Amino acid sequence: MTQILFKGIDTPGLTSIDVYEKQGGYAALEKAFAREPDEIVEMVKASGLRGRGGAGFPCGLKWSFLAKDVFPRYLCCNSDESEPGTCKDRELLMKNPHLCIEGMILCAYACRIETAYNYIRGEFEEYGEIMDRAIAEAYERGYLGKNILGSGFNLEMYTHMGAGAYICGEESALLTSLEGGRGEPRMKPPFPAVEGLYSKPTIVNNTETLCVIPFIVNNGPEAYAAIGTEKSKGTKLVSVSGHVNKPGNYEIVLGTPISEIIDKYAGGIRNGNKLKAFIPGGSSVPMLPADKVDTPYDYESLVAAGSMLGSGALIVMDDTTNVVAEVLRITSFYMHESCGKCTPCREGTRWMHQILLEIQNKVGKPEQLDLLSDICDNMSFKCFCPLGDAAIAPVLSSIKYFRADYEALLESAKTPVA
Amino acid sequence: METATQQDTVTLTIDGKTVTVPKGTMVVDAAKKVDIEIPVFCYLEKLGPFGCCRMCLVEVEKMPKLTTACTLAVNNDMVVKTTTEKVVKAQQGVLEFTLLNHPLDCPVCDKGGECPLQDNTFKFGPPDTRMEYDRQNRDKATPLSPVITIDRERCIACQRCTRYSEIIEKDQALVMLYRGFQNKVATFNDQPYDTRFSGNVIDICPVGALTNTDFRFTARAWDLTNASTLCGHCGCNCNMTLGVRLNEMKRITTRPNDAVDDGWICDKARWGYDFTKSKNRIQKPRKRDETLTIQDACQQVAGELKKIIEQHGPDSVGFIGSGYGLNEELYLYQKLFRTRIGTNNIDHKTYLDTPGLPVPQWDLPSVEAADLVLLIASDPTEELPILDLRIKKAVTRLETKLVTLNDQTTLMDDYATPSLRYNIGSDATVFSALSAVLSGQPGQGLESTGLESGQIQSLAETLKSAKKVCVIYNPAGLTGTSIHNLKQLLSVIGQLPDTECGALPSAPVTNALGAMDMGVLPDFYPGGRPLSDGAAIQKDWGENAPVKPGWTALEMIEKAKSGELKALVVFRCNPVVDFPGGAAVLEALQKLELLVVHDIMETETAQAAHFVIPSNGPGFDEGTTTNIGGRVQQRTRGLTSDNPHDWKIIAMIAREFGDETLYKNVFEVTAEIAGKVNGYAAIKRKDIRREGKTRDPVASINGSLPEAGPSVANVAGSLKLRVAQFLFCHDKILDADSQLAHQFKSSSVHLHEQDAAELGVKAGDEVTVFAEGWSVKAEAVISNRCNPGGVVLPKISDEQGVMGLIHPGHAVQWVQIKK
Repeated sequence: MTQILFKGIDTPGLTSIDVYEKQGGYAALEKAFAREPDEIVEMVKASGLRGRGGAGFPCGLKWSFLAKDVFPRYLCCNSDESEPGTCKDRELLMKNPHLCIEGMILCAYACRIETAYNYIRGEFEEYGEIMDRAIAEAYERGYLGKNILGSGFNLEMYTHMGAGAYICGEESALLTSLEGGRGEPRMKPPFPAVEGLYSKPTIVNNTETLCVIPFIVNNGPEAYAAIGTEKSKGTKLVSVSGHVNKPGNYEIVLGTPISEIIDKYAGGIRNGNKLKAFIPGGSSVPMLPADKVDTPYDYESLVAAGSMLGSGALIVMDDTTNVVAEVLRITSFYMHESCGKCTPCREGTRWMHQILLEIQNKVGKPEQLDLLSDICDNMSFKCFCPLGDAAIAPVLSSIKYFRADYEALLESAKTPVA
Repeated sequence: METATQQDTVTLTIDGKTVTVPKGTMVVDAAKKVDIEIPVFCYLEKLGPFGCCRMCLVEVEKMPKLTTACTLAVNNDMVVKTTTEKVVKAQQGVLEFTLLNHPLDCPVCDKGGECPLQDNTFKFGPPDTRMEYDRQNRDKATPLSPVITIDRERCIACQRCTRYSEIIEKDQALVMLYRGFQNKVATFNDQPYDTRFSGNVIDICPVGALTNTDFRFTARAWDLTNASTLCGHCGCNCNMTLGVRLNEMKRITTRPNDAVDDGWICDKARWGYDFTKSKNRIQKPRKRDETLTIQDACQQVAGELKKIIEQHGPDSVGFIGSGYGLNEELYLYQKLFRTRIGTNNIDHKTYLDTPGLPVPQWDLPSVEAADLVLLIASDPTEELPILDLRIKKAVTRLETKLVTLNDQTTLMDDYATPSLRYNIGSDATVFSALSAVLSGQPGQGLESTGLESGQIQSLAETLKSAKKVCVIYNPAGLTGTSIHNLKQLLSVIGQLPDTECGALPSAPVTNALGAMDMGVLPDFYPGGRPLSDGAAIQKDWGENAPVKPGWTALEMIEKAKSGELKALVVFRCNPVVDFPGGAAVLEALQKLELLVVHDIMETETAQAAHFVIPSNGPGFDEGTTTNIGGRVQQRTRGLTSDNPHDWKIIAMIAREFGDETLYKNVFEVTAEIAGKVNGYAAIKRKDIRREGKTRDPVASINGSLPEAGPSVANVAGSLKLRVAQFLFCHDKILDADSQLAHQFKSSSVHLHEQDAAELGVKAGDEVTVFAEGWSVKAEAVISNRCNPGGVVLPKISDEQGVMGLIHPGHAVQWVQIKK
């Protein structure tokens, strides 16, 4: 089992800097400072690392998009992990905060950034405190602050607790929230790399992405690129939840078949039941039926299968599941989390919820299935940010693959109540 | 104007039509140029792109998804399609979403008939809704302030209002609260949204969510007769629409004119016209208690005046007008007094100023074009509110720098780098020192000003390095004769080699500039022509035109007291309350043999008059005013009065004096002004109707610097008084019945902490301000609003009586504060 992110994660006391250093922590800094910042960017490019937050954008390429010669510039680590099913960053923050800090320092050095923020989900209060303690330790050891390890490189780092909004995981809403504004996405372009925090060039990277950087600097990009598939390099943390025997976070090599993740890592389906459906990448991606379970878990294969890798949350449903109930639950989440800025998302999520609730309560009408599909069409790519598109993914995919579940509920609606 | 080069423009195709627009234009605005309507709710050009309502989705070739035309800047060779099947489906879909929870109360909604949601639904909407659930019930008719009512059920969360509050007003008083379908427009802790510019959100709301409390349910939009008029309060002369039904004012809305108001009006403009229906209006002409007809009143006034002139000569009568009159009215009055009566006892103000500037007169938009705005003794927020918005826009959204030079702190200081505070009464020294430093000499006497030479040095450097300097000064905020030092400073700045300089003289009165241009001055004929041009004056104005300097307004009051002035005509002003001296002014006026008051509202002065003649005023009158930018605009009437227009009344009095000129309408007076007044030659009614037109700068007099007056001696235990303006002053225009009564403040006096400590005064103490045998009660505020040794007393009402504290002869007034 190749482990990069979870290597030694359960070592007692890893949150303390001493234990982390004993495991080789912060060794990448000296190595990085021996090189020019641009070389680090090239290394990350060569490693093939892609953003682990959801979109899978090549990390090194993103760094190279920073507006040239505009300072100050900022780094924001996106720890606003809120996607239903996803709990991987939480584990990293909870158990190995220094890995995240080291990754952030490396990124900041590579991008000539002197101020870094870690935007942490509001509900992760405890992990925010762990992070704060870790940052304080890193300052004490001289890994943060002025002239780090005599390199002449300065970096100030802060944690910022969110206020409990899913939308703030969207990078531009995160920046607005960090500035003290209302968590609503911003217009793009300009992209954060050009005009981000306080209208200055800004890198926003997911926690997991940044945690990979020390490995790349320590072992070279080739070592990382050797892992995984041709286009999906490295390992990925997968949060497996639902009807499995051993739900939890697992680090897998990209390209591992989903069936293997379910059976080998997560201990198989509960009660010996059969798999019915799974959502491969968190609530925002289309669900897939059991016959796609042999799909390799990587960016390209999942797109080819009609879904996405997303944030790496594998939600497993066995054959006792009414998919409509799951879709209703997810839609309820999006209705609650829609920021309300744009009309289709604000109104559409609520309307879909109203309809799904009727269907679930067996008072729906058959024509509502087409209506649901049309509402999705009216939202599709018409919302301000990807939240609206995320909200329709489970609805559309469930109607596509599990129409029978809806029809069963609609059928029973026709039967008069005795 | 630079001609637009190809590099500055972009050519694209929209629905097959080619359009060329400036770079940076949004597709939605480019489409308008070729008469293609792309529907919007959230977009407003003044607020910039936002893209939340999703109504303006269009198809663009080579873009895979539909995109919002309001957030998409034009590009060369872009091909935009607004009517494809995909677009139509998206428009119908978005409208269906928008209407899902919107109540169907159009039949009783104030916005009905002028509602973008209604219009877009008719033009682009689906024929029906598929929504079959109860609509979301939200709060109906909730007061957002005493004058704005919000109907949250109608709100479509377009965020125009909250973005207006953030981007234009700059205070984020109005914000979105909560999330998703529960989001709502609100204020912190449900405090009232009662800023100075709150009413604009009513106009920009694309649905009937934000409504004018006063207008609610009183008329349908299509039943209103709309008059395109001007505001008659401050010197900005914002354009507005007066909605009238059955000869009653129903509402006032914005009428955007970028050259003046940039599309906004202040709340005093919107809700400060209750006086048009006030019970306190002067209804009929009267002689003491006896009601007269207009004809009788004019005849009798003329008769009485003639008697006095016969007995005591023409210089025994005088005229005090005001900057609240129209150009035509003021012109006719001075013409009557000069050419028919034969006196120069004509004035309209109590501060010093002369027509003309040693640098070009600039218009309001120049604030945005300047890279440095120097704001002197001016408090736009209270005095000229729309200028406040314009400066904030220039500083926060363009690359303009603001420097304030004042004896009191103002809200503008938040935007200033730096804000310089001089001691009350030391303005002349400061201006002279700055002039000296700019000319390479040392600045003198700075130790008494509260400013350090380094600050003056650095300001001089800032001025020298600026390319375009716009100086805005309030002559009424200066002390003594410092206006002359200021004009000298202007000419020094104007001569800096690399600096272009222009100025806006910004007295806080509707037509202050017009009053000077019209020659309502004791020492200047219209067009800024000085009395020294005797021969030329008599050529234009007749052989008998007087060339001896007349008395100023303050001198006339003094001469009334001494008995040298026998008769006085007062037009649209209230000296008893607004002139320095307070009760002493009343005493003086009571000695007159004849006091004629021609005004809109009953005033303390009118109460003392022998003859009172009604003036119609804003809403009823028509003619022109000249704003602080020198822009002459047309004020039209929306209401009809039983009384004749003021210009007719003046003409009737003049006829009694043998002036047989017959004007068919007020614009014949405007035409006469064009022929007679320097700078107004190009002011023709047809040219000024839409946006107005700047008059040519009035000739500037290179007056020599007056001898410095005797320095003001420090009086032990006394403090120097600065009377400050307050926008919502409770006076005759904003009376107790005004809708803006909630904005009235109680009397307060602002002290420096040092002085407060010496006097043993604490914040919140009830104190009395004493001077000249007069006293004003006020609550002490320890705010360091001015430097130590001074106090700032905002004029918050007529009743407060602050002017009684001031001796008319004093350059600076000393007051004492007692607990």
